[in-house]
Amino acid sequence: MKMIEDIPPKARSPFSEAFEMFRRNHAAVIGLVILLSIIAIAVIGPMVYPGDPFDMVWIPFTPPGEQGYLMGTDYLGRDLLSLLIHGAKVSLTIGISAAVVTVTIGITVGALAGFYRGWVEEVLMRLTEFFQVLPTLLFSMVIVSLFGASLMMITLAIGLVSWPAVARITRAEFMRIRELEYVTAARAGGVKNGRLIFSVILPNALPPIIVQAALMVGSAILFEAGLSFLGLTDPNVASWGQIIGSNREYILDASYTVTVPGVAIFITVLAISLVGDGLNDALNPKLRQR
Amino acid sequence: MTALLTVENLSVRFPIKRGWGKTSWLYAVDDVSFEVQRGETLAIVGESGSGKTTAALGVARLVGNSGGKVDLAGEDFLALEPEALRRARAKVQVIFQDPYSSLNPRLRAEAIVREPMDSIGTLPVDQRAARVAELFEQVGLRPEQMKLFPHQFSGGQRQRIGIARALATNPELIICDEAVSALDVAVQAQILNLLRRLQRDLGLTYLFISHDLGVVQHMSDHIAVMYMGKIVEYADRLSLFNSPRHPYTKALLSAVPSVDQKRKVERLLIPGDPPDPLNPPRGCRFASRCHFVEDACRSEQPPLTEVAAHHKVACIKA
Amino acid sequence: MTEPLLKIENLRIELALRSGQAPVIDDLSLELRPGETLSFVGESGCGKSMTALAIMGLLPEKVGSIAGGRILFDGRDMAQMNDAQLRSIRGNEISMIFQEPMTSLNPVYTVGEQIAEVLRRHKGMSKQAAWARAIELLDAVRIPNAKSRVSDYPHQMSGGQRQRVMIAIALACAPKILIADEPTTALDVTVQAQIFDLLRDLGRETGTAIILITHDMGAVSEMADRMVVMYAGRKAEDGPVAPVISHPRHPYTKGLISCVPHLLAKLTEQRPDLTEVPGIVPALASFGADACLFASRCDMADDKCRSSRPPEVAFGEQHSACWKADQL
Repeated sequence: MKMIEDIPPKARSPFSEAFEMFRRNHAAVIGLVILLSIIAIAVIGPMVYPGDPFDMVWIPFTPPGEQGYLMGTDYLGRDLLSLLIHGAKVSLTIGISAAVVTVTIGITVGALAGFYRGWVEEVLMRLTEFFQVLPTLLFSMVIVSLFGASLMMITLAIGLVSWPAVARITRAEFMRIRELEYVTAARAGGVKNGRLIFSVILPNALPPIIVQAALMVGSAILFEAGLSFLGLTDPNVASWGQIIGSNREYILDASYTVTVPGVAIFITVLAISLVGDGLNDALNPKLRQR
Repeated sequence: MTALLTVENLSVRFPIKRGWGKTSWLYAVDDVSFEVQRGETLAIVGESGSGKTTAALGVARLVGNSGGKVDLAGEDFLALEPEALRRARAKVQVIFQDPYSSLNPRLRAEAIVREPMDSIGTLPVDQRAARVAELFEQVGLRPEQMKLFPHQFSGGQRQRIGIARALATNPELIICDEAVSALDVAVQAQILNLLRRLQRDLGLTYLFISHDLGVVQHMSDHIAVMYMGKIVEYADRLSLFNSPRHPYTKALLSAVPSVDQKRKVERLLIPGDPPDPLNPPRGCRFASRCHFVEDACRSEQPPLTEVAAHHKVACIKA
Repeated sequence: MTEPLLKIENLRIELALRSGQAPVIDDLSLELRPGETLSFVGESGCGKSMTALAIMGLLPEKVGSIAGGRILFDGRDMAQMNDAQLRSIRGNEISMIFQEPMTSLNPVYTVGEQIAEVLRRHKGMSKQAAWARAIELLDAVRIPNAKSRVSDYPHQMSGGQRQRVMIAIALACAPKILIADEPTTALDVTVQAQIFDLLRDLGRETGTAIILITHDMGAVSEMADRMVVMYAGRKAEDGPVAPVISHPRHPYTKGLISCVPHLLAKLTEQRPDLTEVPGIVPALASFGADACLFASRCDMADDKCRSSRPPEVAFGEQHSACWKADQL
């Protein structure tokens, strides 16, 4: 038997290569560090900075830095720093859960449409288009006003208006991958449809979906801020959007009450975008060759 | 002698959407019959659009809608219900053209080779790992390469993995779909020799799809030449290459450049392009490009008739 | 002997790798005479296309660069030319057609517009004159009914017709050299035969020298006058086609010829196994080594082959870079 050329027999998975690629992208790493710090603040913050953020602690409109209140107080005399720390948890939770809802619906619809084609695809794609043409803000406002402004409803509302984008990406990837020879090979090897969809095609379709999901977290946070600004929010929970919303009337007199949570949202969304961008490059095999 | 594979009047069609709810059918393979004997190689040759790949994958019900009758080792393949078909796939496996897209990039080599056994359950679970190791050795890969991912292999090695996968279920029939055409010539020779050695050692039966007549000449026992979904000529190796009868086969052979200085055939150019496959001509499909055409060719499809032993031609002038 | 049209002397092209510089083309010399067809042969990764790109002045920027040697075209050294000078040669005096006729044409312009564009840019023709010439060119590349097909978009044409359009564009300015990089690999064999016939006839009529890059020895023997066999960025062997094919003086050439099952004048029952050239082309990183790079795949190799680079030995017009060329 003639022997073949040597390859270092070290099994590097596609995942570890993607990680290597991500690591070399400085902007993405910075984004990830910021994002991890914000998550750390959201998790640990309430423990090291205790107290109910809704308690009135001092005179309203105390500017930042005075009386030991680093971020000052808002129009009800609440500690802005405390609100910000507790708000981080709420905003991130909403962002992540909304992204999970989005991706779950989107992948299911897109995968079925892209795999089965025929009437299944027709029905599912018409449904997708229906949700896509709905004015998103209006539609979510209707849901929230009808079913109440609980965190859960807001998350669902955001997920419900955002999934069509994920469904379209998933369907496109499925349509591309199902024509590749390794899928035909799997069919020739007697692999069942369920396994074909979830174990063969889906893992290969994931990269663009992961990127979309990451960016989704950012846009869900923005969306929630928008709804809060319009007053459609749970008044008992301090999200960043809610802080902005409740202080909006004092934007001219005490601009810091709006600026501080605004900057927090900005930094978080920026960090998420950087990470999403890095993921995009890292998961794109074409760019990996360089 | 009964054939391992008997295909009768096979048609494979694809739906073509035309506006609202209107569907017309594209017949990529139209009423084709052939046989493959156990242990031999039948090659199907033709140019792009001839339906050669569709015919082979249609036999295994991997593309389009197949109609007609396919008997593989006593099993009526086209009549099988989905679950029975899934299990019957153990009998016919495919080696694909593209060594890059035919392996799932997320699986390790051993998992790729093992997949058909796991899905169809052809071996008891505790014997499968040993079988994978045996297959790796048979196709000339080293045991330590089992843990690698596809992108860590060269094109030729990937094709070896694909061959190991195709052998995993001990299939009755292996379809080689342009199995070497994406490889560099030196690697192509390695893979062709491997396929021939495996055929000798394991008594394999190949349905060999290729556009490369040199490769076909080297690999096959019988050859079917296809043009626009039809078999135009069917013969054993020596008859086809030494005395082709159909004008299309002649043109095809004359077009192949060769290093053999003695092989100076006059080139028969085929003018024009093939007709629209959605709207094929009523008579002989090659009539519009044939030098020997006459009126009768345009009005009626010539049947595939035996002109000599093991030699059938679909041409009224053959 | 006529003065060569193109002369490459000791060309060295380096490619930037993560691990450093590797010579993808290493000390390559060759000549192209007016009106002849010269073929570059070898496996992928041997530097055939890279040489062609260097002649076109189209080396991928930042990645590849000419590190030494000269490319003399009409007595001028193209390796020293700036972008503007190269641009005036490219598509005008030297033009190129590629493997993939499906993607080489711009889908949003008609084929006539794409041919006329070249004529207007290089020859300064008027719009009407360029259009009329485009029709003549389509006719010359044997596209039937050229007058009406000139307004077709690329997607309205078959693969073979698109490659003809590419040839028409390449020949629009009556270049002195036409480089054809695997021009028929994506095409059917009957279409390939038509394209080859066309190239040969056009070459004869216009006196254009053709560089045909291919891996198909059959195509070489039908098309080319002389051939250069390349391996791992170096010239393994060159010479007139007939003697090289009938008596190769390099084991790589021999392997390339005998590893392919050819159609023979008379087929017999006998089918011996194909000669194998084991392994694959070595990795780029090992390209510069002072050794015969083919040694790892050669069954004649000995210590000398592995420790020093073989010089070229002449056998008449045939040259081989092999220590054992005289034993073959």
